[in-house]
Amino acid sequence: MSEKGQRRFGRTELPPDLQKAVKKAIRLEWITLGVLAVTVLAVGLVTGSSQAMKAAWIEDMLSLIPPIAFLIAIRIINNPPSRDRPYGTHRAIGVGHLVASVALLVMGAYLVVDSAIGLVTADHPPIGSFHVFGQTVWQGWFMIAVMLLSVPGPVILGRMKLKLAEQLHDKVLYADADMNKADWQTGLATAVGVAGVGLGWWWFDGAAALFVGASILYDGIRNVVTAITDLADARARTIEGNREHSVIYQAEDHASSKDWVRQAGARVRDEGHVFHMEMFVVPEHGAAPTLDRLQSLRDSLADLDWRLEDIVVVPVPELPAEVHGGAPGDLQSEGGQRFRES
Amino acid sequence: MDAAHHRSPTWAAPAPPARRRGILTATALALTAALALTGCTSSGYPADPEGTLDRATGGTLHVGVVHHPPYVDATGAEPSGSEVELVEGFARQIGAEIEWTVSGEEAVMTALQKGDLDLVAGGLTSQSPWTTHGAITRDYAEATGPDGKTVKLVMAVPLGENQMLTELERYLDVAHPGAQP
Repeated sequence: MSEKGQRRFGRTELPPDLQKAVKKAIRLEWITLGVLAVTVLAVGLVTGSSQAMKAAWIEDMLSLIPPIAFLIAIRIINNPPSRDRPYGTHRAIGVGHLVASVALLVMGAYLVVDSAIGLVTADHPPIGSFHVFGQTVWQGWFMIAVMLLSVPGPVILGRMKLKLAEQLHDKVLYADADMNKADWQTGLATAVGVAGVGLGWWWFDGAAALFVGASILYDGIRNVVTAITDLADARARTIEGNREHSVIYQAEDHASSKDWVRQAGARVRDEGHVFHMEMFVVPEHGAAPTLDRLQSLRDSLADLDWRLEDIVVVPVPELPAEVHGGAPGDLQSEGGQRFRES
Repeated sequence: MDAAHHRSPTWAAPAPPARRRGILTATALALTAALALTGCTSSGYPADPEGTLDRATGGTLHVGVVHHPPYVDATGAEPSGSEVELVEGFARQIGAEIEWTVSGEEAVMTALQKGDLDLVAGGLTSQSPWTTHGAITRDYAEATGPDGKTVKLVMAVPLGENQMLTELERYLDVAHPGAQP
């Protein structure tokens, strides 16, 4: 399905190894869609009245959203920036991430409430039999078999995608891989829930459904938070979302190392894959921020990392407070008196 | 604010859960295998949470019927009809005496939900709206409904009494062969 041409992230030309990574990610997502389609079909055939099976089924259907979001987004972000879309179309990734995570959040909440009500009202799940090859076989066996068979595929795919997601700095792919990787818990919990029902423990089913629902809800909350934080232009962070991205410090150090720069500070946001950077520089006393100097600084910053392409270098008399993190109006370049006193 | 707070800093390392996962998976597989063996060697799997089949076996099977010829004819002293014969066959198989309750559909389904009845028959179809009150069996035969469309005949047992449900379905598969794909 991948096009033979060069993959780009907007204006950003990807290095060859990342080109390969993108193509591999696309292929893996198509495989994921295929595996999930088979799983959804198989689970749908045997679901019956089990609450846990219903929850697992819904989770499998929801897991179709992130790969689809990824495949759509990766096409859209191929477009370079234009007059109408001056920042490019990188945000497609963020939008896809938000859509996928809201779906998770809502379904997770629904499943938790639904199975909690089932447990409180003591719903006894009826699980009958199938008639196959002249034999009457308890339907639970088919449920357990399907759930256990559905475990390995997503786990393997998830692990493979996780590596690519880190390489490509792709949050949709990351969220997808993260969910796949945790999928074995769902499959196993559901199988155990059904097996428990077979032993006459009716509440096992509802408890398993509650566990599955809670894991979907947790995924949803975590991803909604990251998606909104990124769309709201938070300071760029690593793909796990737990640390500031080191590219910020690399760029600031690089800019400060220029002999005409007294101080440099960057405002960096994650546009999805790539960063948008505004580098504020305070020139040394008497040093003129000439066009040549600004242009060469911009170019050398772009060479630091493939994620850096959309860069603006702004000469300023003082760094803005939101860049140095101190108080507004603090004379940082003069030693930052007010900053140190506070 | 930061999603990362939920996670330990070493989160990205793929290693930590691997061993534990292996153990968990092995345990689960062993558990499943054990259950599979149990299922093959005894008829107590799936089990009834309320023990319906155990109580009825060699005892009394409480059957609710609704007048619905030709499946159930409740005009005589004893109910008769095709489904009555099927239920009698099932009772013979498990060595149970039948105690009949003849009433309206809502009354018998409510009694089934309360646990006062073990089985309900009366020309119920797979389209029955009573799924909140009882577990509907797999359809055992087809018939023509009042609107000329094909309906699928079912019976009902208490919700979640899966041994009862499975045994009744097994009996119907044998007593009414050919009705199933």
